[in-house]
Amino acid sequence: MKIKHKLVISLVFGLVGLMVAIQFQSNREPTERDTRDLWEIRSQLQDEQKQQQQLYQQIREAETTIEQYQAKSESEKVQTLKESLEVLKEEAGFTEITKAGLIIDITPVFLENESLQTYPELSPELLNRLINELNAYGATDIAVANERIVHITPIRSVNGETYVNNHPLPSVPIQVKVLADNPERLIDYMEVSQSKEDFSIENLQLDIHYEEEITLAKYEDPIVINSLQVTDSEEAGEQ
Amino acid sequence: MWLPILFLIIGLGLGLLTDIKIPDEYSNYLSIAVLAAFDTLFGGIRAYLEEKFDEKVFLSGFFFNVLLAAMLAFIGVQLGIDLYLAAVFAFGVRLFQNIAMIRRYLIDKKYFAKKLKKLKRN
Repeated sequence: MKIKHKLVISLVFGLVGLMVAIQFQSNREPTERDTRDLWEIRSQLQDEQKQQQQLYQQIREAETTIEQYQAKSESEKVQTLKESLEVLKEEAGFTEITKAGLIIDITPVFLENESLQTYPELSPELLNRLINELNAYGATDIAVANERIVHITPIRSVNGETYVNNHPLPSVPIQVKVLADNPERLIDYMEVSQSKEDFSIENLQLDIHYEEEITLAKYEDPIVINSLQVTDSEEAGEQ
Repeated sequence: MWLPILFLIIGLGLGLLTDIKIPDEYSNYLSIAVLAAFDTLFGGIRAYLEEKFDEKVFLSGFFFNVLLAAMLAFIGVQLGIDLYLAAVFAFGVRLFQNIAMIRRYLIDKKYFAKKLKKLKRN
């Protein structure tokens, strides 16, 4: 074979090698590296352990309930049933509840400038954001202008007015009562929260203060659970 | 025979070291182009073993096949048909045929060489 032929073939070989290399490199996915340092790993481990403990506690509570149910006497069974019902009602928001918490006053702000200013309104989106944030920072029970917020509470705009639990909210100022296991911490969080800024854009101000005893009204309307169904847990797993 | 392999290694090294990456949406074209290139390469080797190697056919075949494959993939994307599968199929079949032929030539060569040696000894 002539040297020229060899050179041509070699060049084509080189080109193919280059193409293969580029293809290989494009398809190769970068390996994900664990960049957490010791401290982050340790704190995450702690979080997981805390969660584990919580779960253990829940299991223990459930087990004691089962034991009480299995206890012989009929009256005890009824008593346990009533207690569970009471606990569930409290969790669902069907009872009045009095605890330490914080009160958030939503008040209008009037700016002293030349332009005309309309009276500030509390929009459903804003209220939704506030409630989301409160829940995220550890609020246990919330009431907006004495409307108790439960799991299925609708917050929506009806003809330009904000409705909570299908009742229209009064115009601002409005009081939001919040209960929490650790109210001071919640206040600290809310003082620096995004909500404050969002509200001030709408010319609304949040005044947060701590109260030793706050009573939340109970949820009044019936909860419709037509669409809820009992699942047969035994069905899965067999076959 | 060593020069092409040396160049292949140089090409591979160059590609790996320069850290060139093709965007995801074009990687389809490159893969089919690589397949076309392989087909042409093995075709060239076969032609060489058959002593029918022609530089012009080889070079034009290389570039033409690569471009055609990429264009087929492109048209396929535009039409919404996986047209590149046609190229994959065609090149794949030819690749296997070429490699089979190359293997046979090599085996024949060795076989005849051994027989010749035996004959000479006798």
